[in-house]
Amino acid sequence: MSATGQSSGTRRIWAVIARREFVERARDRGFVISTAITLVILVGVIVATAVFGGETRFDLGVVGEESHAIGEQVVDAAAALGIDVSLRVLPDEDSATRAVREEGVDAALLDAERILVRSGPPAELVGILQVVSLRVRSARALQDAGLSEDEVQAALNQPPLEVRALEPVDDRRRENSAVAFVGVLALYGQLFAYGYWVAAGVVEEKSSRVVEVLLATVRPSQLLRGKILGIGLLGLAQLLLIGVVGLTAAQLVGSLDFASGAIATIGIVLLWFVIGFFFYAGLFAVAGSIVTRQEDLQSTMTPLTILIVGSFIIGINAIGDPSSTLATVASLLPPSAPLVMPSRIVLRETGLAGALLSAGVSIGATIALVPIATTIYSGAVLRPGRVKIRQVLRTERR
Amino acid sequence: MSALELEGLSRRFGDVVALDDVSFSVAEGEMVGFVGPNGAGKTTAMRIAVGVMQQDAGEVRWRGSPVNLEIRRRFGYMPEERGLYPKMRVLDQLVYLARLHGLDAGDARSQAERTATLLGVGDRARDRTETLSLGNQQRVQLSAALVHRPEVLILDEPFSGLDPVGVDVLSGVLRAQTADGVPVVFSSHQLELVERLCESVVLIDRGRIVAAGKIAELRAADRRRLVRVEVAGAPPGWLDALRGVRVVERLPEGAVVELDEGVREGDVLDAARAAGQVRHFSVVRPSLADIFRTVVRS
Repeated sequence: MSATGQSSGTRRIWAVIARREFVERARDRGFVISTAITLVILVGVIVATAVFGGETRFDLGVVGEESHAIGEQVVDAAAALGIDVSLRVLPDEDSATRAVREEGVDAALLDAERILVRSGPPAELVGILQVVSLRVRSARALQDAGLSEDEVQAALNQPPLEVRALEPVDDRRRENSAVAFVGVLALYGQLFAYGYWVAAGVVEEKSSRVVEVLLATVRPSQLLRGKILGIGLLGLAQLLLIGVVGLTAAQLVGSLDFASGAIATIGIVLLWFVIGFFFYAGLFAVAGSIVTRQEDLQSTMTPLTILIVGSFIIGINAIGDPSSTLATVASLLPPSAPLVMPSRIVLRETGLAGALLSAGVSIGATIALVPIATTIYSGAVLRPGRVKIRQVLRTERR
Repeated sequence: MSALELEGLSRRFGDVVALDDVSFSVAEGEMVGFVGPNGAGKTTAMRIAVGVMQQDAGEVRWRGSPVNLEIRRRFGYMPEERGLYPKMRVLDQLVYLARLHGLDAGDARSQAERTATLLGVGDRARDRTETLSLGNQQRVQLSAALVHRPEVLILDEPFSGLDPVGVDVLSGVLRAQTADGVPVVFSSHQLELVERLCESVVLIDRGRIVAAGKIAELRAADRRRLVRVEVAGAPPGWLDALRGVRVVERLPEGAVVELDEGVREGDVLDAARAAGQVRHFSVVRPSLADIFRTVVRS
């Protein structure tokens, strides 16, 4: 008898189970299609944001010598405001009309008298145009009134008004908030979807009765462990794929200025998915093991749904106000920590110690929860119909 | 020597006694039929034997050792309530189950292909299980019980749902298993089939073993004299009017009757001739079904 060979077989059982959970689901056409759609939408949003959102470059057509002179001043004035304006010299009004209508020119200045736009005027460009042309015409009027060149310059060269911001704009923080929002959204979707898969997978084995075949050869704890691990790995792989594709797309279109921050955020999201998934997976398995039909699953999952949706709402609010008492407390409680803590880390509301404390509490709670969840699952999974948890615990403790 | 032993198994569900001190054993290479009316405890006993249910008392032993998970992984089990992953492909499913029983990847694959072919579903190996007919799903289920070269087979109603060709295929497979020394115990309501396939039988009723042993010996021990008589055009109830004769089994044109002491076979034949045109008359030995009726009734 090769006792060692047999026991090494037992040790690898959970890996065989996890592999099936991973492969069968990854192969599922619904999964492949939904992942593809997610990626397409993600890349689409990133590209669209880069192309259409926050446009700070304009094409300005100029007709006539004077227009050209004003145009050059507009370019300088715009550059000072961080706006990129390029000039197109056009021969006459007809070609200017065509350029505005068909060739993507944002506005055209005709003989320094009229501004031609297609429909809604681009406010920033037209604003600068008006200011510059007002200045040019004021200077001319002052010269006509007999002032010398120097007097005109002295009159017009007034310093701009000082702006004092109560809360200075922090580009990095704004970008971090956006990334945190995407992260919380992804974590919410992923925790919910993969938690549901654990529950539905348990019900599938129960309703198809294959669980009786399985439990004749493996322990319920092995089956549960393999299932959670396989589904969790798939969730992690999908999240990683989405992160890598999103980051690559953002990098290619240049819409992220702080790529290193984004990579760190993806890392934080992946880590908290793992922590959150393992916390919730055992509970979802229990919700699945006490029913036999998929239709009944919704009702037993309701407490978990409320927990996750509630944590998600706190998590979204925490992005706007990460130092609130609610956010601080929620970031330490195991059910809500995975959806609240990542934002607080990304927004630098908490240091390494806080993050480790929160992760430690969640992992500790998971370790405490696993044996209880396994006991209920083991006791309930072979019982037909709707099973009462209290009843299972009573008989399992015998 | 007994390979699989069930000893003193008891199990209650609330107030219901499902098993009451059930003991029987199966020898190496022996095929045992496990027979009893619905609700008698067959499924409970088999579930306990494969470890998916716990007994309140008693023990299951394999070659003298109490079974544990390590030993049970070498058992082949087919549950009464069939169970497979509906969306998994047949071959993947069998490979997976073989691996759970401890086979390595390569061995699992070749065994899965071999077993599916053996049970006549080799050509459906790449299809999703739910697309197969119920009969073919049943063959996949049997493949699942056999795929890991089990040392013993415990099959709960393996023949139900099979067409006559399927019954022949499975009978052949089980005979080949016992020829290789694998003990087989299966439950069935098809007593003729049990009689044809099995050397031994265990009869259970209301959680208790009511008879067990070699079928031939059980039949020989049954001293009843039975006569099968079929008469065309006989008035209804003519047999019931005969004295010293009890109807054991009713047939379309007659019955199997048990003769009391002092009643001769010739007396029944005379009465039959008087009642109508005799189509069939024979002295029969008690079948397994007759024994079953007797022990279950009493």
